[in-house]
Order: sequence, then C-alpha cells, then structure tokens
Amino acid sequence: MKTRREFLRNTGLIALTPLVPSFLEELAHAAPAQADPRILVIVELEGGNDGINTVVPFADPAYARSRPNLRLKPEEVLKIDQQVGFNPSMRPMADLLGAGRLAIVQGVGYPNPNRSHFESMRIWQTARLNPARDELGWIGSALDALPQHQARAGPDALYVGDAERPEALSASHAETAAITSIEDLQVRLPGPQADSLDATEQDTAGYVHRSVLRAYGTARDLSRDHTVKRAGNPPYPATKLGTQLEVVSQIIKSGAATRVYFVSQGSYDTHVAQLPRHESLLAELSSAIKAFMDDLRGSGLSERVLLMTFSEFGRRVAENGSLGTDHGAAAPVFLAGESVKPGLFGKTPGLSDLSDGDLRASIDFRRVYATLLRDWLKITPGEAIAAFEPMPLIK
Amino acid sequence: MTGAWQTFKPTDTQPWDLRRVVHLHRSAGFAATWDQVQQDLRDGPDASVDRLLQGKSSAVMPAAKFEGLSQQLAEGAVVSDDPERLKAWWFFRMLFTPDPLGERLALMWHNHFATSNAKVMDLGAMHRQNEVFRKLGRARFGDLLHAMLHDAALLTWLDAPENRKNHGNENLGRELMEIFTIGVGNFTEDDVKQSARALTGLSALDGEFRYVPEWHDSSEKTILAQTQTFDADSLCDLLTKHPATSRRIAWRLCETFLGEGVVSDAQISELASGLHERELDIGWGVETVLRSQLFHSDANIGSHVIGPSQFLVGAARAMQMSDPPPGTLLLSDWSRRLGQDLLYPPNVGGWAEGSSWLTTRGVINRANFAVALVRGELNRAGTAPDLAAIAHRAGHGATTPDALLFFNELLLGGRLPQSRLDPIAKQAGDSPADGVALLLATPEAQLA
Repeated sequence: MKTRREFLRNTGLIALTPLVPSFLEELAHAAPAQADPRILVIVELEGGNDGINTVVPFADPAYARSRPNLRLKPEEVLKIDQQVGFNPSMRPMADLLGAGRLAIVQGVGYPNPNRSHFESMRIWQTARLNPARDELGWIGSALDALPQHQARAGPDALYVGDAERPEALSASHAETAAITSIEDLQVRLPGPQADSLDATEQDTAGYVHRSVLRAYGTARDLSRDHTVKRAGNPPYPATKLGTQLEVVSQIIKSGAATRVYFVSQGSYDTHVAQLPRHESLLAELSSAIKAFMDDLRGSGLSERVLLMTFSEFGRRVAENGSLGTDHGAAAPVFLAGESVKPGLFGKTPGLSDLSDGDLRASIDFRRVYATLLRDWLKITPGEAIAAFEPMPLIK
Repeated sequence: MTGAWQTFKPTDTQPWDLRRVVHLHRSAGFAATWDQVQQDLRDGPDASVDRLLQGKSSAVMPAAKFEGLSQQLAEGAVVSDDPERLKAWWFFRMLFTPDPLGERLALMWHNHFATSNAKVMDLGAMHRQNEVFRKLGRARFGDLLHAMLHDAALLTWLDAPENRKNHGNENLGRELMEIFTIGVGNFTEDDVKQSARALTGLSALDGEFRYVPEWHDSSEKTILAQTQTFDADSLCDLLTKHPATSRRIAWRLCETFLGEGVVSDAQISELASGLHERELDIGWGVETVLRSQLFHSDANIGSHVIGPSQFLVGAARAMQMSDPPPGTLLLSDWSRRLGQDLLYPPNVGGWAEGSSWLTTRGVINRANFAVALVRGELNRAGTAPDLAAIAHRAGHGATTPDALLFFNELLLGGRLPQSRLDPIAKQAGDSPADGVALLLATPEAQLA
C-alpha cells in the first residue's frame, strides 16, 4: 500500500505546484502516512437494463424463440463462455474481462420482483423489500456506522450527476453531497459563510440549515480549482457518463476522504425500437468504465477503487410488439477493478424456467451489497444486509 | 371543512403582517414587489388571496401586452427548434405574468405529468402541453387527465403509439395508474396489462394527437375489479372517481403549497374527501389550501423549501428587475444549475421537490446566482438592480445595515432576527449589494 503522500507525489501534484490550488498543495505536503482507504464507485443504469441483451444467452434455445426480432446471432456476440456473450457494443468490457479486471454476477434480483421503476429503484437503493417513507440508503446507513473523520477532507459519499441525490446515499449523520461538475464547488459569495448558525433543530428549518452548511463545507473541502483536471489523464469519452466518471477521478486524485461515489446513466427504459438505443447505451457504459479504470491504473489508484453497476430491474424475456421490452426482473451486475476476482458468477438464468414471464433471480442483490461492505469497504453491514452471505468476488 | 382547513382569520397572536404577506407570495407564486406587499397588508388576507386566485395579483405588464409578447416568444421558440428558447419563454411568463399562481400551477402539473423533451423532441408538442397546464390547471382533474391522454407530447413520451391491439406496450398504462392517478399499492400487474389494452388506439403523429380505431382493442377488460369494454375515456373516468386519486391530488397540492411535515395524514384525507365530493375541482382545492389556517399558520411559515424557478424569479420580481429585465435564457440556465432543467424532468416521476433541492450543487449555485444578480450579470447591459433606490423608495437609508433591514423584510418577510443580520452587515462592509447576496444565500432564504 502506498501512503497518501506517495500517491499525491506519484500523481504529479507536487511537481505541478504552480498550477495547484493552495489547499491541494497543503494536502500534498501534510497528508499523514496512513493506509489508503478503499473506494466504491456505483454506476446506476436508470430505467431497467435489459440483461438479456447485455450478457446474451445465445446458446439457450428459448432465447431465439422469445426474441424473434431482437435476438443477436451467436457469431455477433463477444463470447464469454459457451453459453453467454457480451453485446457486440461492449468490446471495452470484454477487454476488461480479458485483462482480469471484471466480474459478472448473473441473475441478480430479489423475491417477488416489483416492476415499478420507482418502487424497484427504492428497493435497490435501500436494500429493503418494503422501504418506509424516509428509509435511509444502503450506502448512507453503512457510512453512518463509520467513525466520523476528524479533519474533514470531503463528504463521506458524493453523487456526481444532474439529477437528485439518490436515496442510496441518504444517511442520518454521514455527510453526502451532490454535484454536477467541479464548477459547482466554486463559491463566489463574499466572505466566509456564517459557521455560527445554530443548526441543531430537528425540523425542516434545521435540516435546511444543516444542508446549507454542509454544502459550503463540501465546497471548501473539495477542489477549488480545476487546473488539475487534465493533468496526465488519458482521454475520457465525451459522453455524460464519461464526464461524470472523469469528475469522480479528479476528486479521488485530489486526495478527498470520500469513500463512495455514485453516478447514473439513463435511460434504459427501452420499450420501443430497443436495439440501436440499447447498443449505444452499452457502448457509452463500457467505454466510460474502461477509460475510468485505465485512468486509475495510470495513477496507481486502481487497487483502491472498485466499481459496481446496477439497474432497478431487467426486462421481460419475451419482446413486446414494438421491437422493445417491458419491465422485468433479474439482470446481471458488473464489478470492475484490479481487486475483483474476474469471471462469471452465479447461475446463468434459464429462459424457459420463468416466473410470470420473467427470469428467476438466483442471487439476491443484498449478497452483492454484503460482499462490498464486508470484504471491500470493511464495514459491518446493518440489519437489512447483515443476514446475507458475501460472495467470493474480491481477491 | 374543519380545523386546519378553515379560512384563516387574523388574531392578535396570528396577525396579518408582513411575514404572512411575503410568505403568501413566495409560496403561491414568485414573490411580490414592495408595493404589492403593502397593498396586501392593507387589504387583508381575503382580498389578497382573491387577487391571486383571480390572476390579478401582479401588474408588472398589462395582461394583453403580456399575452401578445408571450405568444410571439413561444412561436419563435418553436420555429427555431431551440429548446433553450422555449424554456426562456416560460421564464418570461413567470417574470411578467399577472397570474403568478397560474404559472405556479403550470409548474406543478409539469411535475405531475412530467414529460421530457429528451424523448419527445418536438417543441410544438411540448408547448401545446404546457398551455394545457395553464388552461386546465384549475379545472376538474378529470378534464386535465382526459386532455393529457389526448396530448401528443405525453403519448409520445410514454410510448402510446406503440401500444396496439395484440402488441401491448405497458408504459402509459403503468404510469397512468402509478404516477398520474391512484398511486402505488392500489393496482396489480394485471391491472397494468388490462389498462394498456384499454389505451390502445391513442397515438401521435407529427406532434399532433391521433386516434387509430383499428389499433384499439375493443374487447372486455377487467380493471380494478370492474369488467367492461374499457377505452381511454371510461378508464379515465374510473381512475378519476377512485378515492386514491383524490388523495394523490390532495397530496400534490400540499406538497406544492405547504412545508414538509406540516400537514397530517388525517388532514390530507379531509382535503381528499372534499376534492372527491367536488369531482376533483382543483380550483376549489387550491383555494381551500391558500385560505386555510394551516397555510397561514406559524408552523407552515418558513418550512417550505422553494424550488429553483421560484427562488430565481422571486428574487428578480421582488427587486423589480424589469428595466432591463434579467435575461430569460440566463435564468433558465441558472435553473438547470440549481437542479431543475424545465421541459427535461429526470423521469416520469418528476422532481422530488422540497429539501431535495438543497444538494451541494443546489446550495452553491443559489449563492452564486445571488452574486450574479446583485452584480448585474443577469442582463447584457450589465445593469445591477438599484438596491439603494428600492430601499429609498420604501423609506430606508442606503447604508448596509439599513438596506439589510429593508431587504430582510421584502425578501424574507423579516424572518431573519437582528442577531443574524449583524454578522451579514459586518461581512458585507460598505456594499449593500454583497449584503443582499449574503441574505439570499442564507438557509432562511431557501424557505417560504
């Protein structure tokens, strides 16, 4: 393990001193020698990703029957084994798998699947099958269990994107923040914000006070200058997801103490004319993840970072009447990074053994969460996840 | 109606004061100028709410001139095919409308029937939908829902043209029940499939509604335990009469006009019953909420996080920035940075509203907007609002502490105590403009 100081040195921050904002410079000189904490990056595929058209079960005879118009031919897919292969637009993901940096967990879902976008998304985000109205997120409540860091160097979790902060990051006292770009951290307000505010009340006003104070805290703690932006970075694809992952990379490189990042890609709700749209989504996803992984490797950070994708549900096995697919159930989850055990995990779902027209889940998503918390972030899961057995996904 | 929903009557402990007038305008519209506030103070709550309901609460521009300009701007935006111009048109309306409540309701319905041009890709259709929100925003909900089921933008957004007899597409059927009417927990997966069948035949072509009889499945369907040859009209009827729909509309009105945690379940139920008895008359619901004791109660004032457009437009309107007015393209871009890209909601569920606006990004950009506003960066001429002149006209001096006293009243109804104003005055030094920017960046300024 490198110390943070070595890491900053290696990333060239010290060498770049004239361009670096003063606080980053201070960090580079003063960062204490400590084990580098591990980081989790979550990529949400919003809208319900068609797992069958992602990791294609080309050898299942029921595949061609269920998808007369949408099916991909065996020679088109990027074969993973004799049963399944990647969608042809996912070459960068196939490369990651070939390089031993990708794990694919098949058939991930939960009992009695809910086919509402919003309800199923809440289930995934809270790790509860019947989330209460103000349920905490699975990540937020896990971060609540960590000791509060003494010297602030960024929020515990950060959402990067242009939608609302995801429920997964909702926490009772862990700090979670949401930005779209580095520019969102540049406060133009004259003078410091009043830190003396009494922000302890439990009503809406108190919540709003705390939100405002936290926002200024986050802005102060994270980068105030984006001149480090391009320093030595390999190029990212000029897509929304590529840009978001590049922001995540910038903030990781700045030495922030943030443990969990969350980005989102939409829209996978492919009810109509699915093939071209889905193909471009998967291409965007794959190339952005590959660029991110390569960037981290080039910065000596790849052993500290693990990335997970998820979607609220897969899609129905049988195609619909408009060359698309309707809401379904189980789907694959990807884990990417230097520290994952590469390969296929879980049973390949059979397309003729269906439940209400949908794939049966063989892996409960909370087992994946349990793995990420226990074996990666080294956080003891709370009661929503504690009962689930981790999987052997981490080296 | 009982208790909380009874009409507010001022008392010695709950007087009709500046705080209540400013709260009324910030919650129900887009804030008010000092003159409007003074007029409402004199006239009392009944007349003030009357003016809002009648669309006569603001006189920035004569109504006829306003509508003429609005039409020109909308047509220009649609012809240009530039979505930024259509968003800017909406900001023009919010800034200059004589009927701020109508625009607030249009925003509410845009969030309820959240349709994104990202998929519709037709500004003419988006504009027509938007005008329906204005025209039927206070009508019976059934009329609005019926119009939406015949609205090209919404139908395109939810794949209705692909939902045909024997080739179902569930998108519209599901969201119709889950988001627009009865809500989660009140229907089954089979109800979704059968509703989709009832909605076959509804389609859109070239941005216009089109009904295709041969695509319609006219056989019997069983929806919510009722069996008949349902079509869009009879399904719309069934859902409108369902008590869960009244409750959802009651909830939507409370979300729009009341603070978080202010209204109880029992109070929402009572409002829902009242709506149900009146065939979901939205206008009645809005009037009931805006006149209510609950709306004007101490518990409600200062507990409602206002949305991006209310924050942006409210600041500009209260400071009478009409000559030159703020650039509407700029306002629209600020709204995006604050988290609300109009005409592009994140998904059919719309924006979450309330405290979820206050992310790091939302908070920092609200502060940065305040700085841009007082420094005159919102119009091409670089003209900053003449803060000293506004304060002077209201009889206040031009020093920073004096100006802060006044703008605390104008913008926040005087909700910031002197102990909060003092450090702001100190920080702002001899710049009242900096003081106003700091004032707008306070937590209190995010709340109505």
